[in-house]
Amino acid sequence: MDTLKRRHFATTINQQQFSKSGYEQVPLDPIDFDENGKLYKPLRLPENKVILAFWQQYNDILIPAFFTVLSFWTRFYLISYSSFVVWDEAHFGKFGSHYLKREFYFDVHPPLGKMLVGLAGLLAGYNGSFEFGSGEPYPADVNYAFMRIFFASFGAWMVPLAYFTAIELDFSQHAVILATLMVLLDTAYLCISRFILLDSMLLFFTFTTLFFLTKFHNQRYNSFSIDWWLWLILTGMSIGCVTSVKWVGLFVTALVGLYTIEDLWDKFGDLSMPKTVYLKHWIARIVCLIILPIQIYMLCFAIHFAILHRSGPGDAQMSSLFQAGLHGNNFYGNPIDLAYGSKFTLKNMGYGGGLLHSHVQTYPSGSKQQQVTCYHHRDANNDWFIKKIREESEENEEENNSTDVEFVKHNDVVRLVHSSTGRNLHSHQVNAPVTKSQFEVSCYGNKKLGDQNDYWIIEVIDDLLENTPRIRAMTTRLRFRHKILGCYLRAANAVLPQWGFKQIEVTCDKKNNPSDSFTHWNVEHHWNDKLPPGGSSHYRTLFLHDFWHLNVAMYTSNNALIPDPDKEDILASHPLQWPLLQVGIRICGWDDKAVKYYLLGNPIVWWSGTASLVMFVFLFVWHLIRRQRQFHDFSQAQWTHFLYVGKICLIGWLLHFMPFFIMGRVTYLHHYFPALYFSILMCAFVLDHLTSSCNQITKHIVFGISYLAVILVFWYFKDIAFGFDYPSSELKGRQWVSSWNLVD
Amino acid sequence: MTDHKVRQRHGIQVMEPPDSVQNAPILDEKKTIGQTKTNTKKRIVSNSALAILTLLSFITRFWKIDHPHQVVFDEVHFGKFASYYLKRTYYFDVHPPLAKLMLAGIGLFLGYDGHFEFDNIGDDYITNDVPYIGLRSLPAALGALLVPLTYMIMVESGYPIITAILAAGLVLFDNALICQTRLILLDSMLVFFMLCTFYCYIRFYKYRLREFSNEWWVWMIASGVTLGLTLSVKLVGLFTVLTIGIAVIVDLWNLLDIKRGLTMEHFKKHFYARVIGLIIVPILVYLFWFYLHFAILNTSGPGDSFMSPAFQETLQGNVMSLESLEIRFNDTITLKHKSTSVFLHSHFERYPLRYNDGRISSQGQQVTGYKFEDTNNYWLIKPAKIFIDPSRPEDDFVKHGDYILLEHINTESHLLTHDVASPLMPTNQEFTTMPKDDDSRYNETVFQVLIDDGDSDTKWKTKSSYIRLIHFDTKVALWTHDKLLPEWAFKQQEINGNKNNVEKSNIWIADQIVGKNVTKPLTPEPPKRRLPFFAKFFELQRLMLSHNSGLTKPHPYSSTPVNWPFLVRGISFWTNNDDKEQIYLLGNPFTWWISVGAMAVLVGVLSADLISRRRAIHPISEPVRNRLLNSGLFFFMAWFIHYAPFYLMGRSLFLHHYLPALICSYMVAAVVFNFMFVDSVNYPISVTGPRKAPRIVAKAVVRDITVISCTILLTISACVFYYFSPLTYGTPGIEPAGIRNRMWLDSWDLHFQPKRHDA
Repeated sequence: MDTLKRRHFATTINQQQFSKSGYEQVPLDPIDFDENGKLYKPLRLPENKVILAFWQQYNDILIPAFFTVLSFWTRFYLISYSSFVVWDEAHFGKFGSHYLKREFYFDVHPPLGKMLVGLAGLLAGYNGSFEFGSGEPYPADVNYAFMRIFFASFGAWMVPLAYFTAIELDFSQHAVILATLMVLLDTAYLCISRFILLDSMLLFFTFTTLFFLTKFHNQRYNSFSIDWWLWLILTGMSIGCVTSVKWVGLFVTALVGLYTIEDLWDKFGDLSMPKTVYLKHWIARIVCLIILPIQIYMLCFAIHFAILHRSGPGDAQMSSLFQAGLHGNNFYGNPIDLAYGSKFTLKNMGYGGGLLHSHVQTYPSGSKQQQVTCYHHRDANNDWFIKKIREESEENEEENNSTDVEFVKHNDVVRLVHSSTGRNLHSHQVNAPVTKSQFEVSCYGNKKLGDQNDYWIIEVIDDLLENTPRIRAMTTRLRFRHKILGCYLRAANAVLPQWGFKQIEVTCDKKNNPSDSFTHWNVEHHWNDKLPPGGSSHYRTLFLHDFWHLNVAMYTSNNALIPDPDKEDILASHPLQWPLLQVGIRICGWDDKAVKYYLLGNPIVWWSGTASLVMFVFLFVWHLIRRQRQFHDFSQAQWTHFLYVGKICLIGWLLHFMPFFIMGRVTYLHHYFPALYFSILMCAFVLDHLTSSCNQITKHIVFGISYLAVILVFWYFKDIAFGFDYPSSELKGRQWVSSWNLVD
Repeated sequence: MTDHKVRQRHGIQVMEPPDSVQNAPILDEKKTIGQTKTNTKKRIVSNSALAILTLLSFITRFWKIDHPHQVVFDEVHFGKFASYYLKRTYYFDVHPPLAKLMLAGIGLFLGYDGHFEFDNIGDDYITNDVPYIGLRSLPAALGALLVPLTYMIMVESGYPIITAILAAGLVLFDNALICQTRLILLDSMLVFFMLCTFYCYIRFYKYRLREFSNEWWVWMIASGVTLGLTLSVKLVGLFTVLTIGIAVIVDLWNLLDIKRGLTMEHFKKHFYARVIGLIIVPILVYLFWFYLHFAILNTSGPGDSFMSPAFQETLQGNVMSLESLEIRFNDTITLKHKSTSVFLHSHFERYPLRYNDGRISSQGQQVTGYKFEDTNNYWLIKPAKIFIDPSRPEDDFVKHGDYILLEHINTESHLLTHDVASPLMPTNQEFTTMPKDDDSRYNETVFQVLIDDGDSDTKWKTKSSYIRLIHFDTKVALWTHDKLLPEWAFKQQEINGNKNNVEKSNIWIADQIVGKNVTKPLTPEPPKRRLPFFAKFFELQRLMLSHNSGLTKPHPYSSTPVNWPFLVRGISFWTNNDDKEQIYLLGNPFTWWISVGAMAVLVGVLSADLISRRRAIHPISEPVRNRLLNSGLFFFMAWFIHYAPFYLMGRSLFLHHYLPALICSYMVAAVVFNFMFVDSVNYPISVTGPRKAPRIVAKAVVRDITVISCTILLTISACVFYYFSPLTYGTPGIEPAGIRNRMWLDSWDLHFQPKRHDA
């Protein structure tokens, strides 16, 4: 803040003068000083102008300070009103608990945001014991108010960030205030910032990224100066943080990327720039905008792994070796070598691979036999027995009770029997349901019934520890070849539809590709009473391997979050409903007595934001046509600036909005919030542009009305964000759009 | 200022459509005797090349067109639709009607009466007496014309004959185009009209210096008409509209440039001319075919149930208009579920106290869905007294929004639902009944009748009204699904209360009023209702779009767009096990792959040019570069627009969706060939305008290497075409060894592959 202030004043002596001599003697203007800073004509002001003078001197601190205070006040006001777990606090609170308990969990979002939940919990003295069941009351020992305040303060900083971003974008004072007011008084931003959710952080880092980018842009003529480096590095760090909160941060990253590409393209055409300087520009951006963010992203994961060193609910997403490295898992009790009759689980070794699974549900098409999938959670349906083929096992049936142990070897022909249904792992010449070019794998028959299609040949690829013909739990890499078809058991992260519970498809691949890690399996759990338990051994895994593995798993799970066509998710909405705010979300129970929040934007903010985007496109085309006809309404610099702000806002909005149409996953209203920011900036910019030729009084009137509209609508709707405990029917008048479900 | 200077100044008129050729009319004006001679000679060469290509094209398309005499692949659909036109029975399809009308027209001409249903792939044409050769010859003829059209487009775009021959030759020898266009399918019409549009637009553009002349108008209107025709074949035609649209916008943008010297008035004339020719005309053409469609299909048919009740009543002999009766209070009715066709049913048996999964029921009387007629399906409609205006008569019509009770006649009890989980779905509410004299749970027996698209005056009619029954107390909808209850309910269908009461599967239809029969007239009655054309038109458009995006049912041969240019996989159309014959839609791998390569080269060359220009280096001469940008980029854009949008489509996609884009990619290939092997370009090619300003003239130089390389390329194409032709024509059969040899990619899942050796 201090550096900002200084830049706008000619001298610093001026300020010292202020503080020493009191306001009365203060000269108005630096003109009163000569070059040496000597005061030669002290100007005395009449009493009533003092306030004005003070205002003129300090308004660029006072205004943001005023808004910041308001912002904190609105974000913190009545923050502990609802003492229940609201909405997705159920998820993120729980993840925070896992950090405090240091148990490994799995989630589709990167860890930074949730680690901060954990940090908030730590600071609040919370011990991680609460389950965060949706809609449950907080127990007395959970200081949820503090945790909410922690996140609300991220949300509160959005307001000053919006203010200074607007200044950096060279908006007029009027427009700057309008943009700030709209961010401050948007009920959706307000509401989402007040809970233990990742969105306030995502928004905060989105705002910082844009702010740093505009700062950096304004240093474009001072390349390689300290300031230039500072803002470039901060932009990079901000990108790293925003993507470490949610992958949605990649959209603002893309905006920075496009800006950088255009910038470098411009410089490429600058023939007067020496090649070495141009090269330096490239290197600076590669280091600060690519390497640095990736480092931050990876650092978050490194911390994530370091904190979560105990076994927990997310184990099964990771490789067996990684799990073995977690405290508290029971792998050390595994017998080492796999023998006939052993019960075991089979882990796919591809990135994001799960455990071979089957359940009583059948394929709806194809063979209509029992489904075989890959599953990422612990379940008794993941357990399999390894048996000899029928021809050999008939004789051995009686000897079952003997203590003879026969170990499984490379190239053995075996049968895999599903423990809970007793069926055999089976494949046949039926196309797989998703990957149609491969064969379906099912469970078929029982102990007696079956055919040659139940037989698989075990191929050992290698062992991480030592080469042995036997098969060691955890460390031996295996492939399973179908005896008849010659195809290989494979699970390559293709997600089954709803009938397969979004689990991973298992197929039999006709191609023999020994390096395809999706056909590699290892034994994970292993139980056999006849064998002694193996000792605990310390396996180490590479960070990069785990990092990549986890990211693939996150990507796969994220893709599996597709809307279920059979069920209608009342909270979900289609992206087309967002820009015109046709939908709101009830984020808690709607009981008459309960404290209720309704996640809904300030209609005037949303609608004017969207309108301004359309308006800008029209203005742009209009000016383009005018220019084609040689009417130059702008100077070149003005035109460049018009394009610059337009590009930042419009492309920023498009980048944060359009991808949701392509994404198959289920979408919610709050996915639009980052995009809203760009529409707000656009609104202020367009209004600024339209009034640029008006006189001061008209501007006052136009902007005054806009401020008033935003404030009044906010005041009218404020209860839905602050929470209300009266029946929702009292808000009937606020049901402006019939598709809102504010009132039943 | 002359046109030429303008072009030099801001030469990069990106994606401006190609100019035309150094064809006879222009150079005639030069009046040089020597030139006229060479021109005459050139014209002879050009025309004979065109004639030979056309002849070859017809031969390749019509060769053994009678084979197989069975229904192949999608002939199942499109043959059937043509039959419907001939029988004038209403059908529904996601594609606009033109191509199917054309097929029907041919059928009419051949005296075919539409008796054959084209039910299954492999049904025999000869035994069923279908003039299938005649029907196939229409698409085949249009498919054959693609070759000369490609040739003429290239010639008009200013390329030397050798380049045009290459483009046409690539089209000529493409197995996929041949395979797809010689069957009763729509794609040959689509691609034909698309190429016609390009041709007309290029001709139009060449008259740009003679604006508003007769030729200018004729070719523009022709572009508009062909655009409309393309759109009337398949909605893919929208991509053609977009392609031409972009070209027009770029053109208008250049006209708007003040340096062109047009006044605003003049510019507006240009603008409105294009609005008329390229927007209004296509729309009229498009509407016309739908008008014809509705006019022909005036009888009730298989497409009825897709349409709204109002629409159905416009069709002759429709059940709705014949048998629908208005329902009154105190009528006894049967209720049928629309999507599963079961009746709402109840009987004395009760729900078991405890289900297998441990949940507990209310032990109330069972309410089920039953497939057959039964007196247990009878329900009496009673007004829910407190909700109904007492002034209404006892037997008033039941209207939209009325609250009713349903009394089960045989057990004298009221239908009821309550907050108890249903037997099969814990999320849904159980339905049961309450003795009718027990008023203690009156509110739970009240249901509201909501008629689809109804207002408070809409009367509930049997057969024709789609209704939802919404429970007053809990707002759930009466619903059923095809899961059967266990033995204790005689394996009848489960009925339960669906919390999502707007779902489409909540629709019920009152099947009949017990004791009231419709007197059926002996002669088919004229339709009861008329709807304005536009009401029908928009209803059909909406349905076409929603059903098109709903075509997501997985198909074993569907593929993703990313596979298409590389020909990763084909489609099996037809097989004959006895002779090991098969038709497998597969492109000519050689021509497909070189066209993809050519596009990569074009992008590479243009990017390299862009980058070097940024550093003030100009590696390509201006006329060559202009031609590359105007013509090459236009074809490239056409390819891109006919290809890229498929990535955004959710429906299941097939290789043949790539064919329009493929033709464009062949033209790009020829452009790249021209860039590599022909020096300089023919310039100018536009028809000269009234102002005869001095113009720089350039001529393309065709060298021996050009002819040789073109010959080599076409020879290889022809050989590869011949090699794969058994898969295209479905004859002769190939032995497994031959199949293995032809499987250049493992992913080509041909039939009759040799048995896999056990590894």
